[in-house]
Amino acid sequence: MASPVVAQRPAETPARPGRRRRPGIGRRDHLIGWLLIAPAMVYFIIFLLYPALAALYYSFTEWDLHSAPIWVGLQNYIDLFFDDVKYPHFWKSVQVTLQYTLVAVPLTLVTALAQALLINSIRRGSNLFRLLLFLPVVTAEAAVGAIWRWLYDPQYGVINAVIGLVGIPRQNWLNTPELVIPALAFIAAWQCGISMIIYLAGLKSIPESIKEAAVIDGASPVQRFFKVIVPMLRPTTFYLVVTGIIAALQVFGLVYVIFSGGGNRSVTGGPEQSGLAYVLHIYLYAFRYNAMGAACAMSFILLVFIMIITFIQFKFMKQEAS
Amino acid sequence: MTQKTVRRLPIYIALILLALVSVVPFVWMLATSFKNGPDVYTQVPQLLPLDKKTGEWSPTLENYEYVFTISGLGTAFWNSVWITCFLVPVKLLIDALAAYSFARIPFPGRDKIFVLMLAGMMVPTITLLVPRLHVTQVLGVYDSPWGIILPNVASVLDIFLMRQFFRTLPVELEEAARIDGAGRMQIFWRVILPLSKPVLAVVTITSFIFHWNDLVWPLIVLNDPELYTLPLALQQLASTESGRAYYIMAGAALAVIPVMVVLLIFQRRIMQGIAFSGLKS
Repeated sequence: MASPVVAQRPAETPARPGRRRRPGIGRRDHLIGWLLIAPAMVYFIIFLLYPALAALYYSFTEWDLHSAPIWVGLQNYIDLFFDDVKYPHFWKSVQVTLQYTLVAVPLTLVTALAQALLINSIRRGSNLFRLLLFLPVVTAEAAVGAIWRWLYDPQYGVINAVIGLVGIPRQNWLNTPELVIPALAFIAAWQCGISMIIYLAGLKSIPESIKEAAVIDGASPVQRFFKVIVPMLRPTTFYLVVTGIIAALQVFGLVYVIFSGGGNRSVTGGPEQSGLAYVLHIYLYAFRYNAMGAACAMSFILLVFIMIITFIQFKFMKQEAS
Repeated sequence: MTQKTVRRLPIYIALILLALVSVVPFVWMLATSFKNGPDVYTQVPQLLPLDKKTGEWSPTLENYEYVFTISGLGTAFWNSVWITCFLVPVKLLIDALAAYSFARIPFPGRDKIFVLMLAGMMVPTITLLVPRLHVTQVLGVYDSPWGIILPNVASVLDIFLMRQFFRTLPVELEEAARIDGAGRMQIFWRVILPLSKPVLAVVTITSFIFHWNDLVWPLIVLNDPELYTLPLALQQLASTESGRAYYIMAGAALAVIPVMVVLLIFQRRIMQGIAFSGLKS
């Protein structure tokens, strides 16, 4: 904003020849600058800034979206943590989400790295393989959920037919509490294409000279992998671990589709809540039970958790850079 | 066979196996979608659409017909088409204008606003859903296409990506245009945008894929089945017809195929875009 002090100054001071040469620069230009960001700013305020602050406020209230919110202070947070009658599945959803993250993130990254290494070591057909391995990424989660429910079908599913070939008995994947998280993590690994592409870019950026030096020094392929490639990929791996954790903590659409059978009402999060992801739990409280205050409190706990992870990432990145 | 080819054989075998894992779910989806109801449920999975009793070749398009007309996926398909085709260009314009301003017009307070916007990216979507729903109700766009369009009409991430790209363009070009008497807007249209095709393409394609696939927001903001977008209608179909895999797979194919076509056409740009945005952030 142009302050009055600036406005009173003579428009054309000889001490600033640069201004005269470039007529675009000045208060009029500032105005254009503001005008250009105005639509994005309006969007940002209405659909990001206000909702974020409002969610924080609502988390201290009891609110059903229709009547006025009632201020309850920290009660929502206290009840979530300690009242297992009011919120019987809160800790279960935390546990499910952490377990899922712990299984899905490493499985995804190992798969992605393996795919990237294989693709990086061939010339002919590398684009084709890259494309085929990327297909699952662009698939709508509604379709992913529908397709995998059919693949995991206990009676007619392809998965059971395939494991039957090697003598493993049929499993009821999505209805056995112990198998739900591995089944979901397998889908996550199936969709590892983005990590694979980023690993490929990381592999391409390792200088040939370093790899050649290792070969000349007589390093075996295994040694080269662990002593050269893995350390050189550390920044990439670190980035993928952090973004992978943040994404896994927020898993929702897939579990929603997978566990919504026989009418909308029965969305519960799988057998014995074994697939009750944290965000699904929030969703149920917000949009099924109309407990907006509690839902906002839960989502703020998640926000704080994600901020801590992001903060640690920044710390590490700085350390790495220095 | 040369020695090199022999050494690479295991690599190709491993890749073919991985590619099979990647592709078989889609093949199975298509196979199921072309089968007659009774032929779907066989003890040994059968890839080709053969008649269960006679073993004769008997593919069908009835499943597609059924979901397109009776289950309402046809309406949903066109809803998704028009909403995506309207939303993506508008969003692109809003984001590009803001990105140009953030990249090149040094008005006071600019960088503070930009950092605030970036900080906003950290907020998980789920945190925003409840207040956003309330906002759409207050604005009177709840349960309407605008309820989907407005809360998605700009993207901080896209603004960030475009700003980064605009900053790499040489300032001299703009100054030359300015000396020739071009104003800011002319510079934006005639100089900046034509030079920014790579980043515009990436942002357009990823936006298209994202909004075409988005399930969560339509799930919350839409109530009237006539307004459903394709992912939402597919989710409903999968939930209500859960015993009829052939219908569900036909519906899934409707959702999947357009995006696959986009991927096939623009694969190189998409891969570059991911590597670019992934490594930058």
